[in-house]
Amino acid sequence: MISLKVNGQTLQVDVDPSTPLLWVLRDVVGLTGTKYGCGIEICGACTVWIDGSPEKSCDVAVKEVVGKSITTIEGLSPDGASHPVQKAWVACQVPQCGYCQSGMIMKAAALLKGNKKPTDEQIDSAMNNVCVCGTYQRIRDAVKKAAGL
Amino acid sequence: MSAHDESSTIEATEKPPIPAPLIEHASELDRRKFLKSASGLLLAFTFEMGAKGKAMAASAGATSTSITSYLSIGSDEAITVYLGGGEMGQGIYSGLAQGAAEDLFVDWAKVSVLPLPAALSWVTGGSSGIMRRLQTLRTAGATARQMLINAAAQKWNVSASSLTTVKGTVVNSITKASFTYGQLASLAATLPVPTTVTLVPNSAFQIIGQPVPRPDIPSKTNGRAIYGIDVRVPGMVFAVVRHCPTMGGTLAATPTGPTGTQVVPLSDPSGKLFNAVAVVASNTWAAKNAASQLQIKWTLPTNASTIDSTVFATQAQSLLNGTAPYTAEKVGNVLTGFGNTVKTLDLQYNLPYLAHACMEVLNCTVKLTATTCEIWAPTQAPASVQQTGVLLTGLPASAVTVYPMLMGGGLGRKIEQDYISQAIQTAKAIGKPVKLSWTREEDFGHDMYRPMALSRIQIGIDKAGAISAWSNRIVAPSLATQRGRVLPVTGDGQATEGATSRPYNFLNRLVEYVPHPSPVPLGYWRSVANSINVFAVESAIDEVALALKIDPLVYRQQLLVNDPRSLAVLNAAAKMAGWGTALPAGRARGIALSNAFGSIVAEVAEISAPVAGSITVHKVACAIDCGYAVNPNSVEAQMQGGILHGLSAALWGQVTFKSGVASARNFSNYRVLRMAEAPVVSVQIVNSNSPLGGVGEPGVPPIAPAVANAYAALTGKRIRTLPFFPGATMGEGGG
Repeated sequence: MISLKVNGQTLQVDVDPSTPLLWVLRDVVGLTGTKYGCGIEICGACTVWIDGSPEKSCDVAVKEVVGKSITTIEGLSPDGASHPVQKAWVACQVPQCGYCQSGMIMKAAALLKGNKKPTDEQIDSAMNNVCVCGTYQRIRDAVKKAAGL
Repeated sequence: MSAHDESSTIEATEKPPIPAPLIEHASELDRRKFLKSASGLLLAFTFEMGAKGKAMAASAGATSTSITSYLSIGSDEAITVYLGGGEMGQGIYSGLAQGAAEDLFVDWAKVSVLPLPAALSWVTGGSSGIMRRLQTLRTAGATARQMLINAAAQKWNVSASSLTTVKGTVVNSITKASFTYGQLASLAATLPVPTTVTLVPNSAFQIIGQPVPRPDIPSKTNGRAIYGIDVRVPGMVFAVVRHCPTMGGTLAATPTGPTGTQVVPLSDPSGKLFNAVAVVASNTWAAKNAASQLQIKWTLPTNASTIDSTVFATQAQSLLNGTAPYTAEKVGNVLTGFGNTVKTLDLQYNLPYLAHACMEVLNCTVKLTATTCEIWAPTQAPASVQQTGVLLTGLPASAVTVYPMLMGGGLGRKIEQDYISQAIQTAKAIGKPVKLSWTREEDFGHDMYRPMALSRIQIGIDKAGAISAWSNRIVAPSLATQRGRVLPVTGDGQATEGATSRPYNFLNRLVEYVPHPSPVPLGYWRSVANSINVFAVESAIDEVALALKIDPLVYRQQLLVNDPRSLAVLNAAAKMAGWGTALPAGRARGIALSNAFGSIVAEVAEISAPVAGSITVHKVACAIDCGYAVNPNSVEAQMQGGILHGLSAALWGQVTFKSGVASARNFSNYRVLRMAEAPVVSVQIVNSNSPLGGVGEPGVPPIAPAVANAYAALTGKRIRTLPFFPGATMGEGGG
C-alpha cells in the first residue's frame, strides 16, 4: 500500500510503486480530470501540482510522490468554478474539445501563483502544453484576464 | 466538427434546398420515452435522407430512411430538443438550441439539448451539424409556438391572430392576460399540427447571431467533463491494444502475458484479419507495460517491402503521366485553350499522408451480459457503433445501448469502428466489463490517414494575359474505393473537392482524377480533400499572378468580378491584414481563398523566415461568409482552430511508410504548434444572409497556400511540396 495526499485527502493505493502518478490518479483513485495525451512528457495534458509545482504526471512514479502534496484539476477550487483561472476560462470561452484544458489550467494557475503580472513572452513560454484544437489565443487572453491584465 | 462519412458528405454536397421536415405529434411510445413530465407537447420532426444516404442506411441493415428529432414542451415548462448529433467542442448543442429558441420565442438558455439513442443518431461530420439542422429546428420551434398560440386562443375563445408570444408566454395584448407555454402544452398536444408556419426573418433575429456561452464549457474547466476515456463501470478492467506494426501483418500465435494479465487476439472489424492483441490488466499502465514487453510472433505480409513511401511516390508519378480514367469537371475545351497561349505554366504539387492526432486516443468501454451490450465510446457515429455491437454480439439492436461520450477531438477519426470492435471482442473474451485504450504510439501508427496526393496543374495564358486553359490532374488514393464503393464517371468526389467548382470560372477547364491504389488505410481528415486541392489551386493562382507581375490580391479580384460573395470575403481579409501597406523588413504576406462546406473563407498570412528551416507565421487575417453566424463566438473559435490545425500540418505534418510501418510514433516525431509558435488570428464574419454554411472545416484549406504564397513573396522560392519542413521533431516544452 502506498499512501498519497491528493487534494488535501490522504489515500491508500495498492499499485506497483513504479506506476506513473497519472494512471494512479485516473484508474485507481478515479480522478479522471487529469488526462493521458502522449505519455512522454511532451503534451502536458497530464499536468498536476506536486507540492505546488506543475509537473507532468505521466512520468512521475507514484513512489516518488509519497509524502508530497498533489493537487489535480478537481482540487483547484472547492466548488470547481471559483478559481480566477477557471472564471477567466469560462469568460473567454476557451475550451473547444476541452481535453487538454485541465493541464492548461493547472499550468496557468501555477504561473500566476509565482508571477502575478506575466508578460506575453512569459505566458507563451510557461504555457507550452499542446492543444490540437488550437485554443492558444484564448488561453493567452484568459491568463491575462485571470491576472487582471 | 471535422470530416465526413458517406452520409454526411452527401448532406454536405447535396446543396439546398434542404427538404422540409415532416412535423407531427409524436407517437404515444415516443411520448413516454421523451416527454419528461407526465404531460405536454411532443413534436416529432422528420426529414427524408437523400438517395445516397438511403442506400447507405440500407447497406448497414437499417430499415429507416429518415432522420427524426424531437421537441418537447412539458407542462412543467421544460423545453427539450432531442437530437442525434455529437458535441466535440464545435458548439452544435448550443447553436441548435439557439435556432429552436429563436422561433419558439423563448430564452435560449431555457432550451435543453439532449442526445437521442444511437439508432436515431446521425454522423457528426461534414461541418453539417448546424448547417443542415438549423432550419429544421427553427421550423419545429415555430410550429410548436403556433400550436401554443392556438391553444391559448381556444382557452380564451379569441382569434389566434390577436395573440402574441413573449419569452415563453402567450399574451393577449388587449386583456393583458397570459399563459405560460407549460400551462398550454397539454392542450396544444391535442390540436392539429399546422402545415405551414412563418419563420422569423434574418433581419429580426433576437437569438441567432448572439455569442451565447457554450453550456459544455464550465465542466471542461474543473475535470468534471466525462470523455470516453474517463468512463468507469463497476467491476471494469483495463485493456491496451498492440497491433502488428506492419500493415497487413497477422498474429501467428497468441502469446501469454505476465501474471495478472490476459491476452486477447483481436481482428479488424471485418473479422478476418487478426492483426492485434489486447492486454488486459488491473489498470491502464499495467496493461500498457505488459503489452510493450510482450513477445509477439507476427506473420508479415509478403508485399511488406512494397508498402513504402518511395514506392508510393514512384507509382503516383507514373500514374500522373498515364491516362486519367475519370473527368471530375470539364468546361469548354482545354486543347483549344492551350492552342491560343503565349505562356504556359506546368506545376506539380505533392502532399503527404497525415495523421489525425486527436488529443484523446482511441478508446471504448463495453459491458456485456447474455442479453445486453452496453457501449460507451467517444464516437462521431453512434449508429455505426450500434451496428458493430449487433454484428459482434448477435444481439438485436434493441439490446445494444450506445452512450456517445464527449470526444477529446474527433477530427474524422472517431467515425471509424476499429477500436469499437476491439473493445467488444475483448469484453466477450474475458467476460468482464472492460475499458480498452490505444497508446499514443498505436494511435499514430495505426491511424486511418489523410490520403497523399499529387496534383499537376497546367495553365495556358493568352495574349491578353487571361487564363485560356486550366488543366488539373489529381492522383490520390480513393477513400470511396477503399470502402467498397464504385466510383461514378466523375471519380471520387472526396479526392477532387477543392479542385472542382472553383470560383474563378476559367472558360476552358478540365479536372481529372486518377485513383492511386494504396494499401494504406484511409480516413476522413478535417476538410478532407479540400486540404489537398486548395493548396494546389491557390498556390497555382498565385504563381500565375507572379508570372504576370500582378499583385496576387489584385489578380484574384480581377478573376472574381462575377462572384461578389467571394470578392467580398477576399477583400475583407485583405483589408483586415492591411494588404498593400508597408511591412517591417523580413516580412511578407500571402493570400488564399477557398469555398467548402457552403462557406467562403479567405486568409492572409503574415510571415517571416529569419533562419533556414523554419517559417514564423505572425498573424493571420481570416474572413468567412458562412451565410450568417449562429454563434459568432463559436465561428471565431472554429476558424482559429482550423487555421492552427492546417498550419501544423503545412509546416510539419507527414506520415511516411517503410516496409509497411508508419513513421509517426508520437508527438515526438509528429510536431504540432505550441502557443509560442501560433499566429494571432483575427476573424471577421461577413454576413451575406446566404444559406447557412459549415464552420468546422472551412478554416483549414486556405492556410497552407496563404503561407506558401507569403514565402514566395518573401524569398522568391515557391514551395510546392508539403510539409514545408519534413522530418520535424518535438521535445519536452520547446519546439
